[in-house]
Amino acid sequence: MSEPAGALLAVRDLDRQFGGVHAVNGASFEVPPGRITGLIGPNGAGKSTVLNVIAGALRPTSGKISYRGQDITGLPSYQVARRGITRTFQISSEFAALTVLENLLVAAPSPRGEALWQAALGKRYWRPYEREMVERARQLLARFEMSAKEDEYAGNLSGGQKRLLELMRGLMAGPALLLLDEPMAGVNPSLARRIEQHLLDLHGEGLTMLMIEHELAVVERLCDLVIVMAQGRVISQGTMAEVRADREVLDAYLIG
Amino acid sequence: MSVAWQFYISTVLVYLGVDVMACWGLNLQFGVAGLVNFAFIIFQAAGAYTAAVLTLGPATKGGFQQYLGGAHWPFPLPILAAGVVGGLLAVLVGSFAIRRLRRDYEAMVMLVVSLIATSIATNQVGLVNGPNGLALVPKPLATMVNLSPIGYQWLFVGITALICLCVYWLVHIVTSSPLGRTLRAIRDNEQAAAALGKNVTGLRMLAFVLGGVIAGVSGAILVEFISAWSPGSWLYPETFVYFTAVIVGGSGNNLGVMVGALLVPVAFLEATRFVPQFGPPGFIDALQWIIVGVLALVFLWFWPRGVIPERRRRFPPTTQSEARQPLTSTRTGR
Repeated sequence: MSEPAGALLAVRDLDRQFGGVHAVNGASFEVPPGRITGLIGPNGAGKSTVLNVIAGALRPTSGKISYRGQDITGLPSYQVARRGITRTFQISSEFAALTVLENLLVAAPSPRGEALWQAALGKRYWRPYEREMVERARQLLARFEMSAKEDEYAGNLSGGQKRLLELMRGLMAGPALLLLDEPMAGVNPSLARRIEQHLLDLHGEGLTMLMIEHELAVVERLCDLVIVMAQGRVISQGTMAEVRADREVLDAYLIG
Repeated sequence: MSVAWQFYISTVLVYLGVDVMACWGLNLQFGVAGLVNFAFIIFQAAGAYTAAVLTLGPATKGGFQQYLGGAHWPFPLPILAAGVVGGLLAVLVGSFAIRRLRRDYEAMVMLVVSLIATSIATNQVGLVNGPNGLALVPKPLATMVNLSPIGYQWLFVGITALICLCVYWLVHIVTSSPLGRTLRAIRDNEQAAAALGKNVTGLRMLAFVLGGVIAGVSGAILVEFISAWSPGSWLYPETFVYFTAVIVGGSGNNLGVMVGALLVPVAFLEATRFVPQFGPPGFIDALQWIIVGVLALVFLWFWPRGVIPERRRRFPPTTQSEARQPLTSTRTGR
């Protein structure tokens, strides 16, 4: 089966079992470029598993994932990431003993000085590239109003600041597709609103995102397209208005 | 200074060099990359045996010691070979311990590997002469230079210092570069590092192998100096002395680790030499292990970052010309 032209990411008949549990059971959907696609559904619907399989953290039991027309099914995380798919985690995953700026530098794309032979060539070889990346990281920090925290250990940040760092680190990698796993989970309403605005701004700049989110009002405000999952299956997809009208979606949310 | 004191001090300095090197190697694995290598001492042992066998020459039939693959390699080839063997052993151990296991299980496997290695070396007498170990390893360059015994001691101190410098260069280029930063990131969160395009297994393996090479070299210098090596020199508790040194000195900081090597294996264990004997025979030796263990606990409890903690990396302010460069679009893929 070939995916229709235009989809950045296409998931076909994805299956993932954990022992006897069918976490994802034949899910198929597409992520069009330049849009924010929402992935919603009740707890245990398989949303996070789908995200983990796309990102390469889990291998699918069966099914196929294509990205820009290339088959990326079963590739390890780091190879998926190098193709331009970056994910954020539901639980903050900062590098605790690194400073905020260092956290961002780690994410710099195709880093210089990370191979042993490059490190052996000395500072003169990798310093110019690093300076560029420091500058880029500082621009991100300014954009997210985190400049004051540049030299702070990431482990010392507040929960909300860690969520911002998670997002900044994902952006530092310069992704073509950003996978967001509940980017506003556990933050206060005013910060949640700020994160929302940041996501809208990124959307305005043309970044493609696939986002798991529980708050339907947020999904309605942000997402052009919504995919609804329940019990490992995709039960509905379309705009929020279309999805809301779907009888099966109501049942899934009510019955869980 | 009397000759006796010169002998004592030069001997302590060589030991210090060996311990500093070993601690740098372990720090690269444990402090920087987060590899809990409870088998560290076997890499030092492998290096020591390699250097000994390659200096001793072929074993004679019916001779007083049996071993495999003897040769008369000139200095410094046995030491280089010891580094290679330490690295290869790390590839071997790493390929099943690092590639497949979670970190807590990894540490258990390392401990088990250490015990198995001791058991094999002790019981396979034909391999490296079993429990008696290897002895009478000729001293490097001894026949070529014409020095008094004390002069030779100081020559050896010089050789050790030189090799220490090389090892320092190696650990420094790793820890001060983006490579070191990425290893520290992997130490803090493997999944997140992988999600940012880091080949976690490959990079941890690299740190493991570099640590193995350094451990091998340190063992080679030790055996060339003391001329003997047996399973009793590398029992698994020795690994914990190095761990304690790294923790006390400051895990993740090369300078701190050097201080740790000076404080724990050298200063502390030398100091107990001068304690008058008391209690039953072997009491002071047993007490040493207990105190090293307590020292590790106390530091983990009260000063987990050590005497000289890992440095916080700050970056100089951006200059005008750099600030004017446009922000690379977040949209461009790689």
